[in-house]
Amino acid sequence: MELRINQKTYQVDAEADTPLLWVIRDDLGLTGTKYGCGLAQCGACSVLVDGNVVRSCVTPVAGVVGREVTTIEAIEVDEVGKRVVAAWVEYQVAQCGYCQSGQVMAATALLKRTPKPNDAQIAAAMVNLCRCGTYNAINAAVHELATDVATLAAPAGEIV
Amino acid sequence: MSKRHYAKAAGTLALVGLVVLVLLVWYGTRVPASALDAAGSVAPGDAALIQRGEYVARASDCVACHSLPDSPAFAGGLKMATPLGAIYATNITPDVTAGIGGYSLADFDRAIRHGVAPEGRRLYPAMPYPSYAKLSDEDIRALYAFFMQGVSPVAAANKPSEIPWPLNVRWPIALWNTLFTQPEPFAQQTTQDAVWNRGAYLVQGAGHCGSCHTPRGLAFNEKALNDSGEQFLAGALLDGWYAPSLRNDPNTGLGRWSEADIAQFLKTGRNQHAVVFGSMTEAFNNSTQFLTDADLAAIARYLKSLPGDPQRDGPPWQYQAAEASVFVSAGGHLYETRCASCHGLDGKGQAPWMPPLAGATSAMTAAAESAINISLNGSLRVVAAGVPDAYRMPAFREQLSDLEIAQVLSFVRATWGNQGGEVDAKAVATLRAHTDPASPTPILLHMR
Amino acid sequence: MSTPIDSALGEPINLSRRRFLVASAGTAVGALVLGFGVPLGSARMQAIAAERQAAGTQVSAFLEIRPDNTIRLLCPFIEGGQGTYTAMAQIVGEELDADPSTFVVDSAPPGEAYVVMENGLRITGGSMSVRMSYPTMRRLGALARAMLLQAASARLNVPVSELTTEPSHVLHVASGRSLSYGELAGLALDLAVPAIDSITLRDPSQFRWIGKPVRRLDSYDKSTGKALYTIDLQVDGMLHAAVQHAPRLGMTVGELRNEAQVKAMKGVHSVHRLPGAVAVVAERWWHAKRAVEAIQVQWQEPSSDSPLRIMPADFSSVAFRERLANEPGPGRDAEVEGDFAGTLAKAKTPVEATYHNQYVNHAQLEPPSALARFNPDGGLEIWLPNQAQDFFLADIAKRTGLDPSRITLHTPLLGGFFGRHFLYDTANPYPQAIELAKAVGRPIKLIWSREEEFLRDPLRPMAVVKFRAALDANGLPVAIEAVSATEGPTEGLAGKQGEKLDPSALEGLTDKAYAIAHRRIAQIYVKGPVMLGYWRSVGNSLNDFFYEAFLDELADKGGHDPYELRLHLLQGNARLTHLLQSVAELSGGWKRGPFTAEDGSRRARGVAMASPFGTETAVVAEVSIENGQVKVHDIWQAIDPGSIVNPAIVEAQVNGAVALGLSQALVEEAVYVDGKPRARNYDLYPILPPARMARVHVKVIESGAKMGGIGEPPLPAVAPAVANAVSRLTGQRIRSMPFSSYTFSQPT
Repeated sequence: MELRINQKTYQVDAEADTPLLWVIRDDLGLTGTKYGCGLAQCGACSVLVDGNVVRSCVTPVAGVVGREVTTIEAIEVDEVGKRVVAAWVEYQVAQCGYCQSGQVMAATALLKRTPKPNDAQIAAAMVNLCRCGTYNAINAAVHELATDVATLAAPAGEIV
Repeated sequence: MSKRHYAKAAGTLALVGLVVLVLLVWYGTRVPASALDAAGSVAPGDAALIQRGEYVARASDCVACHSLPDSPAFAGGLKMATPLGAIYATNITPDVTAGIGGYSLADFDRAIRHGVAPEGRRLYPAMPYPSYAKLSDEDIRALYAFFMQGVSPVAAANKPSEIPWPLNVRWPIALWNTLFTQPEPFAQQTTQDAVWNRGAYLVQGAGHCGSCHTPRGLAFNEKALNDSGEQFLAGALLDGWYAPSLRNDPNTGLGRWSEADIAQFLKTGRNQHAVVFGSMTEAFNNSTQFLTDADLAAIARYLKSLPGDPQRDGPPWQYQAAEASVFVSAGGHLYETRCASCHGLDGKGQAPWMPPLAGATSAMTAAAESAINISLNGSLRVVAAGVPDAYRMPAFREQLSDLEIAQVLSFVRATWGNQGGEVDAKAVATLRAHTDPASPTPILLHMR
Repeated sequence: MSTPIDSALGEPINLSRRRFLVASAGTAVGALVLGFGVPLGSARMQAIAAERQAAGTQVSAFLEIRPDNTIRLLCPFIEGGQGTYTAMAQIVGEELDADPSTFVVDSAPPGEAYVVMENGLRITGGSMSVRMSYPTMRRLGALARAMLLQAASARLNVPVSELTTEPSHVLHVASGRSLSYGELAGLALDLAVPAIDSITLRDPSQFRWIGKPVRRLDSYDKSTGKALYTIDLQVDGMLHAAVQHAPRLGMTVGELRNEAQVKAMKGVHSVHRLPGAVAVVAERWWHAKRAVEAIQVQWQEPSSDSPLRIMPADFSSVAFRERLANEPGPGRDAEVEGDFAGTLAKAKTPVEATYHNQYVNHAQLEPPSALARFNPDGGLEIWLPNQAQDFFLADIAKRTGLDPSRITLHTPLLGGFFGRHFLYDTANPYPQAIELAKAVGRPIKLIWSREEEFLRDPLRPMAVVKFRAALDANGLPVAIEAVSATEGPTEGLAGKQGEKLDPSALEGLTDKAYAIAHRRIAQIYVKGPVMLGYWRSVGNSLNDFFYEAFLDELADKGGHDPYELRLHLLQGNARLTHLLQSVAELSGGWKRGPFTAEDGSRRARGVAMASPFGTETAVVAEVSIENGQVKVHDIWQAIDPGSIVNPAIVEAQVNGAVALGLSQALVEEAVYVDGKPRARNYDLYPILPPARMARVHVKVIESGAKMGGIGEPPLPAVAPAVANAVSRLTGQRIRSMPFSSYTFSQPT
């Protein structure tokens, strides 16, 4: 089947019910999207499908044929996604970091749909689990993004 | 009346009562005739007959009760709660002492079709003999051949029931049988074609679909044992699950399903409308998927012939898109965060892997038990053709309160055109107290 | 000479191109290397180790300085979120005179060179990394700087005394000349490491990075999916594997009813029998996972001589708790002071209460995995999550019979650990990965599904603690006894009680700072069938809950405010008095309540303290009841670790520890029924969701006392502070975790 992922087209040989997560990770080698539970409980596998956040561990790959999938690897191509990443660095959100791809995707989806979300909208959208307990930092970063539409400074913790 | 007269009358009454009692006990413990009394036994080593018997056993889902996971096939032991106390399924392996190895063909027939053990003891109607009564002589012979020759004997003793005396006296069941069962085998309906008749035979007989799907009367009797009664397969509550109507009710039954949908459901456990869950998962895992395509088509043909009841079913469901604002409610918010990943914000699911909730039977029936139960406890693994499902329903009992489950289900049952109605937190509490979470590991019952 | 990561450690590893690119980011072509990456166990390493008495002086084993001045540090500790890579860059950078932001930090391989902790160990745990290696790692930076100065001295032909440094450069002020570290690295490599006593460490008042909120080095990579964990790694020719474990530990593999069918499933390479498990190897993990789940195994009951800790078919965690509660005996004394029994006998007011906790899972978000590859020379290369490399290496050597020098062990980033990645027999995938790689002759990446992880995760122990105490005429506690029926995690690993009591069983009950003259703390050792492990803050995570909640009972019984009582019992202890007052101040002044908050809800506050892992903590919690359950609004925490390296990371660690502390207090419980864990995923084992997180307010106090830990200490006081607030608000004593097993009525 033909998939559109990060604005590239891929031919993938997978059964229709294969979770999108494993196609992304094992077939395409894009490992930024994480496996946490496989049961739509944690959100570490969140990706965007046509701009909406979905949990790729419970998304049969056949369901995204003809739709545009965005993974964390391409998040900075998106203007909103780039701001979210900058805020994540600014607020030093990550600890172990394993859930953060999913958290960034969830925040990006929220802000794309609702540029200035209120507290209830943030609470409804930011439900992914984090075992390190970075919830307050996530909350601070998203609130910053929700209130301050000005472009944030370039990420400073970047070592590339 | 003087005391003496009173005593005499009482004595007479007691005598009459005793005589009636003796007669009743005789009636309730006698060994009834079997159509196979004169049929002798079955020939040993008739592979075709044994194979046919195995198929009948599959269709009858004997393992469902008579086998335990990780135990030898048909050695019994399953605990079944009844209002009077727990009973245990028996060892039906051909072990001569512990099992049914000493049964003649006629003994076997009496147990299967009449609910009577060789010594005249009546079986509890947890054994679906009211349905198995429909089985043909040939299928009984085949079943006997399979159990005697295709099953390994296991010397596992039966567990006594936990029903206390005098409630454990069995002979009154004979009266129940007289009132509520029909001892005749299935009769072909000449007005219908062979496919329909085959379907009717399987549904009413081996499949014993009515055991769950037909509502029961006060005496726990199925209100109808065949399509002559309009309550037949009209939907019923049993063991914390609501087995929905299998009649042509568009909302609460199979009205929107095609024959192909039904056959696909029974073969693969899923279709565009639904995925098996609750008790049906066990019926699917151990029975329906093993039926031939022809038999499944016949079942579908027959079920589609059963008329619905618009009075009971209500105005036919039509999908209605939900406004974004509905997700602001407590239930809507829970749906968005807990359910939408799989079932979709639009309620349409990702069929056939994850079922739609828009138009789902569990969101349309007045009884909310199935919706509550699966939300609390999640789904058993659906194992199709030996492979466990890729996706399963999680259990939410440790994450959501009674109120929250009531809220999210009330939301589901009032959105996208669904008409199931409100769910009460108390109903959630009741089921929570009486149910356990579904095992996340696949459970298969083996016949050999 | 370009040196991609790991190549100096053995054979080229041929990770996928992406892995290679990420790993070698910052390596300029033609980088000169400051002799980094001495092969593990080599003769040279051993010789160095032998001739050096001081740990952490083999500069070349730790540091690579590249021509562009980026500095690669091989860190003795593993990064799993606690910020140790950044902290080590700060510490080394401070003395080396290099900005931490120019560091690239990776985990060092096993080896004696990296045994830098003052207790002679090298593990990443016990909140020990920074506090146990701080002087050593500073010295390492200073030694490297001295070598660069010597190199510059030779290059510029001036005495070292005329040279100074500024970040990443050596200056000769007199001539205005300057050389970058990158330029000097090649020369410095050939120099001997200077004598330890020849160097002077920087005056702490001059610190530029230590003590400052330096940004984490891994923030960007972890916000963009670039950070790689073991589960993400790929090597050429690799196959994927998944396992199905026996439902109960000790059971063995019997017949596979449908082996032929499973072998024929799409993508399946092979089916394998392993000790207590079956495995499927496939081209893709998804195929392996589905196929292995499909295997119908006839599990056999354990044999009586099984070396494993056998899980019986009738084991129930609820019943086991009952057994603990009814276990007779006085127990073995761990701490005895004064005359407890005598004081209790004549006490005006005796008080008794029984507390218990629950089993909990680690539930780190990265499921365990291991990648094993046998190289053409027969050596084994393995990537796995761990927090104690030398232990793992020794275990792998033992299991495989390979000499340790032929095993290359890599430790990628950990997707959370919390005590999960110690050497627990039966709880790690690598033995299976090694066996499978050997069997199929190709590299194997084995991932345990979340369900398999919940089946084999070792649990934090359960304890039932019986308290007795005596109050004097003034209602003040004068005697206290705590007898804990439990098995400590170290006892669990050993399978028996040692000659000495397991401190990790009783920490949090023992060594309390409160001035209660007559004390007896004891343990009744009860070995259970559950595999036990260390869990963040270990014994303190349960024992401080018991003790501090019981202390509030004593305060209430004696008619004292619990905050005032604590102050009283800490009289003369300036450090803890200040700490307790600080948390009160942080929370706007001690206010127990109940009171009505601005939103109309009835609320109360609780206070608790703990002294875990060398650090002192005090917590105030504010709670209300919402729909019958506890809602925690705010946690104020004052923490005194003596001195710190990075206040931003400390604050993040306090947040994280509060989250885990709330999680265990409010929602977590591992339940066993019929010998099996009821929960095999997060659905039946909920962990704290964002909606139940509290606001966290942190006050760091640098008292100057000996440096304490950071990762674990902020956890233990959270649960009792919340419990005490709830008791105050509802009038209901909270004597067990999790609080979700209580139903609270709405306070009015």
